[in-house]
Parts: sequence; C-alpha cells; structure tokens
Amino acid sequence: MTFFGVEFDRRTAMIAGTLALTIAAMIGFHLVRKQRIADVLAIVDITGSMNTRDMGNPRGSQDRLEAAKGALINLMQDLPCDSRLGLGIFTERISYLLFDPTEICANYDALEGAISDLDWRMAWAGDSYIALGLYSGIDIARSLNSDLLFLTDGHEAPPLPFTGVPGFEGKPGAIKGLIVGVGGTEKTPIPKFDDEGRQVGVYRETDVPQDNRIGAPPPDAETREGYNPRNAPFGALPATGDEQLSSVKTIHLEDLAQRTGLHYAELQNVSSLAPPLLSATEPRLVPVDTNMSYVPALAALLLLIALYALSLRETVLFANLWHLLKFNFTPDPKGASAYGN
Amino acid sequence: MIFAHPIALYLLPLMLIPLFLGTQKLEGYPSLAVLPPDWLSQALAWTLRFAGVLAIGGIVLGLSGIALRERKIERFGQGAHIVLLIDRSASMNDTFAGRQPSGAEESKSAAAKRLLKDFVIERKHDRFGIAEFSTAPLHVVPITDHKAMVLNAIDAIDRPGLAFTDVGRGLGMSLSMIDEDVLPGSRAIVLVSDGVAVVGRRVQEALRTDFARRPVHLYFLYLRTEGSNSMFATPPSDAEDTPQALPERHLNKFFQSLRIPYRAYEAENAKAVKAAIDDIGKLEQTPIVYTERIPQYDLSRWAYAFAALALALLLAAKLCARSLHAIPGGVHAR
Repeated sequence: MTFFGVEFDRRTAMIAGTLALTIAAMIGFHLVRKQRIADVLAIVDITGSMNTRDMGNPRGSQDRLEAAKGALINLMQDLPCDSRLGLGIFTERISYLLFDPTEICANYDALEGAISDLDWRMAWAGDSYIALGLYSGIDIARSLNSDLLFLTDGHEAPPLPFTGVPGFEGKPGAIKGLIVGVGGTEKTPIPKFDDEGRQVGVYRETDVPQDNRIGAPPPDAETREGYNPRNAPFGALPATGDEQLSSVKTIHLEDLAQRTGLHYAELQNVSSLAPPLLSATEPRLVPVDTNMSYVPALAALLLLIALYALSLRETVLFANLWHLLKFNFTPDPKGASAYGN
Repeated sequence: MIFAHPIALYLLPLMLIPLFLGTQKLEGYPSLAVLPPDWLSQALAWTLRFAGVLAIGGIVLGLSGIALRERKIERFGQGAHIVLLIDRSASMNDTFAGRQPSGAEESKSAAAKRLLKDFVIERKHDRFGIAEFSTAPLHVVPITDHKAMVLNAIDAIDRPGLAFTDVGRGLGMSLSMIDEDVLPGSRAIVLVSDGVAVVGRRVQEALRTDFARRPVHLYFLYLRTEGSNSMFATPPSDAEDTPQALPERHLNKFFQSLRIPYRAYEAENAKAVKAAIDDIGKLEQTPIVYTERIPQYDLSRWAYAFAALALALLLAAKLCARSLHAIPGGVHAR
C-alpha cells in the first residue's frame, strides 16, 4: 500500500504499533484491585515464665519473649503494606494497650524498635492469669475493631483453681484471631532474677505456688491429710508439683481458643505467623491502585522483537533462495543484499 | 537506583539485536562493491541501529520498574527531641474535679490526649518518643520521626490504667531512651502526671547522676485534681511537710535541685494544660538537624518516554524509506 509515495507495509504498522503501546505504557495503565491486608493487635505475654529459654535454633538459644518478638517482626515482613499492627502487653490479669494499630510499611523502624524494646521488666506484677488477660485483650481488640494475636506460653501462675478456667462472657467468635503458643514441649526451668535484673538461678519447687489456694477449697479437700475445715481447709501438707518448670500449655490454650472462637497455632511448629493469622481472620480488603503498564510495555517489546525476527527471516531468505532464484547469480558468500530501501 | 522487578533486567541482552538486524525492509541489489562508501548512509544506518537499542533498552528498564531510591536529606530547623513521659495510673481517667467523666467533662487523660496530639502535629521538625509509667515503667515508642506511630500511642493513653505511680523509674526509662537516640539536638522530657508517689532515696540518687551526665530539659506538667495539694504552695507551719504528705511539692523540689533547665506547670483544667504545652513549645526552639524524606521516584515513565522517542525516530525513518521497486515507472534508486 502506498500513499503519497510513502509505503505502508507491515513493518510500518509494527513500528507504529510498538510506539503506540510504549506511549500507552508511559501514560500508565492503572487497575484498582482488592488487596487483602491484616489489621491486628498483637498482645505479648511478658510474665516471668516467658523468660524460659526453650526456643530458637538450636533449642535454648532464645527465650520465649525473644522468640515472640522475632515472630512479630517476621510477621511485619510477611504482611502486605497498608496492614496495621498494634501492640499490647499482658501481665497479671489484664492486657495493656501500648499503641493503636499502625501502618507497618511507613512506620517499620519505629514499630520494630517498639517491639524489640519489650522487656519482662515492664511487667507490673508477677501473676499470670492467662485467661483473664486473653479476655481483656479481646475487649481491647473489639474497641479497636482489629483482629487479635495473643502470644503466650499458657503458663498460669498461680495454677487454675479446681473450678477451672473462668468463663468467657463475650460472644465466642465475635473477634477473630489467633492464640500463639510460645515455648517448647519439654518442661524447662524458669530463670529467676533479683531486684537489679541479674539472673540468680532458676525457680525451685518451693519458690512458686504449686496449688491455687485462693477461694473455696476443692470438694476432695476433706480426704487430704490434716484437713480441718477452719484451720486447714486445703489440707495441712504443702502442695507439691512441678509448677516451677514450664512448657507450652497446648491443651489449656486450645481450650481457651475454643471458648473464645479464636484459632490456635504453636510458634515452634510454624515458620511464619502470617498464613495462620490470615486463615484465622476474616479477609479485610482495601482497594489498591496497581500500575499495570507492564502489560502494554511487554506487548511493545514482543512486537519490536517480532519486527527484528522478520528482518532475520528475510536476511536468511536473501542469502539463499530469493537471491539465487530471482537473479540467477552465483551466490556471493558475503550476500549481495543491502539495508535500506 | 533501585528496580521494583529486577528479574526483567534479564531481558537487557535483547538490546544487542538491533546491532545485527535492521527494522527496514531488505531489498536485493546486484552488487554494492562498485559503490564508494557513503558516510552519510553509514551514519544513518548506525543511528537507526542505536535507536533500536535505545527502544528495547527503554522498554526493558521500564518493565524492571526503575526508580530512584527513597532519600533522606538532613536539614536544619527549630525543634527538639522530646520524650513524653505519661502517667497511666487509674486516676488519670477521672476528671479534673476528681469525678468519673460524664458527657460535659472530659477526663484528665482525654484532655491530655487531645492536647498532646495537637502538640505533636504542630511540631513539624521534632522527634518524639513515648514512655509511660504506672506501677512499672513502660517503653512504648522509641524516639522517632514517625508521627503516625506517636499519635497512635497517644491515642492509647485514655485506656484503663494501672494502680500506682512510679515516676522515678519512669524517668529512668526516659533517660535510657534518650541515650539510645544518637542524632544531635536538644533533648527534653515532658512529664505529664496527675499526682506522684514518693521517689525513693536510691532512685533519687541514680536519677541525680543520670541527669548530670547529659544535658536534658525537664518539664513537669502536673494535672492537679481539684482540692489536692499544689506543688508550689508552702504548707502552713503546723502542717506536715514531708515527701509522704506532699509528694508533688517534694518532687518539684527534687527537680529544682538537679540543676538542669527545668520548669513546672500546674494545670487545673484543659485550658491551663494548653497554655503549658504552648509554653513548652516556645521554649523548645533550639536549632536541630532533622531528616526530610524524599520519597522514591519512579523513573519507569521516563524510560518508556525514552523508548517512545527512539521508536518515533525508527518510524520516521521507515516513513522516509522508498523502495527500489515500488517507485512508479520502475526506475531504480536515483
């Protein structure tokens, strides 16, 4: 096809097409799609048993608190931008909110600093009523409209009374989330610290309450040795047990998860918290503006390569058939073909 | 220079193709050997080859998401590095009149939250850290220029608090936060509390040496509940004047004895709190170096534009091309 002496062949069309596609890529080609993000409040148990060194690789190289902090920092790396992470701590019987959920990408270093600086010294009391802490964590998550990530070893101190776990008053499953069991399965001694924060050995059997003697005595107390309804309602013998040793209390935490409608995962069994967290929570979708300009750009590149492929084919044709047939000359090894025109 | 999708850079060798192949149609010609070399033609041929190289290169770089890295520029401004040390004891959730907050009156922590947030937003070049104290000192946010995070931490201060008020250890934690912060600049601690407990002798001594070690400005914003002791008033001679009876007065005296730049404010209502915060803002106007973030700049658009220019050149050359055969009359090249 020729217009005004200008020849329009498929090469012209291909170059023009490439140019048009490149300009399309330059202008940009935006697509708004829904991206799944997380909005989660992480509450970290900082009670004494979290100092037990039974995590890390090799086992025992990290204490549970370090492992929990590392897992949170890894989680931040595994979540997409626009996800938000809040932080709270738990000791005694309530969860305490440090800051509301904050966008993770823009505030990454500050969040990492805040997580790394969590310390067992921030605990304001020695007790560890895990169930009550979890329930108050659920309350805070509800007020923030976030999901909950509760990291604990499940070690109740003092031990639960014979009546068992205190009842959950909220609606199970109203707040979605994950309880993460931190710690090893083996029973491990808990380090003991003095007032100045130096480690002074480990807890002994007599250092910790082995039995919950608050409230009413259990029904079988009458059969205990030295039982006296007024002077020794729990029996006269000191309680014995192995509360001074700690392991992750899987059964207790699974029971709590079932009561509250949360999911349960064990940190020693998962490589990242992101997949169990996302599968435990409802998807939260935000529109994300994605630049799809690579689509026209890739098409432009393919078209341009095709154009050069065409030249390659013609060069080959020239060197052999066309050249030989049309001109009936002896083949010149250099090829009597020319660029241009 | 960074690449969002560096894997696309594997396509870069495609840039070599135009050096060997042309975009123009090939036509046979019996022999070129008799023609003298034409420099203009050769220059044009090489120009078109390089246009092809640039076109492929531009598209590949665009695909790889080439961008300028986010940069931080240090600038000079007026401001300070401020640690907000906030009381989270349960009494902070009462009103200035010492009652449960009702619709009309806001609690002390709600007032502090609102005014501190305004303060953080107003102070453009300052860096903030948050520490809290109650029964134990709590490290919340390290000194940072991420305002969003600081504001989110201030948002949490009107949550139910804990029982006691261990201001001494709280100050110790603020000082250690200041030690961790390495950037040069004036440093200040703003202590916001509604009543303190006695700071023990040993903690006092430790604080005295800690404060002497580094220059820190200290501001004590005392949110006084109606009817409680003033920290400035001298008690009548017959009243007991001990740290146990009047802890705020004695804490104030202790701070004065530290020989550091120190100011105390006593606020009985939100207006007085606002005035005190404004005053702190005026005082903390020393020159500091602050970092300004220059966000990542996407260059892929420029790469595509570059490729488009090169392609336009190729297209122009193509449109200028005349066939040896297609010319009406079948005349060969003139």
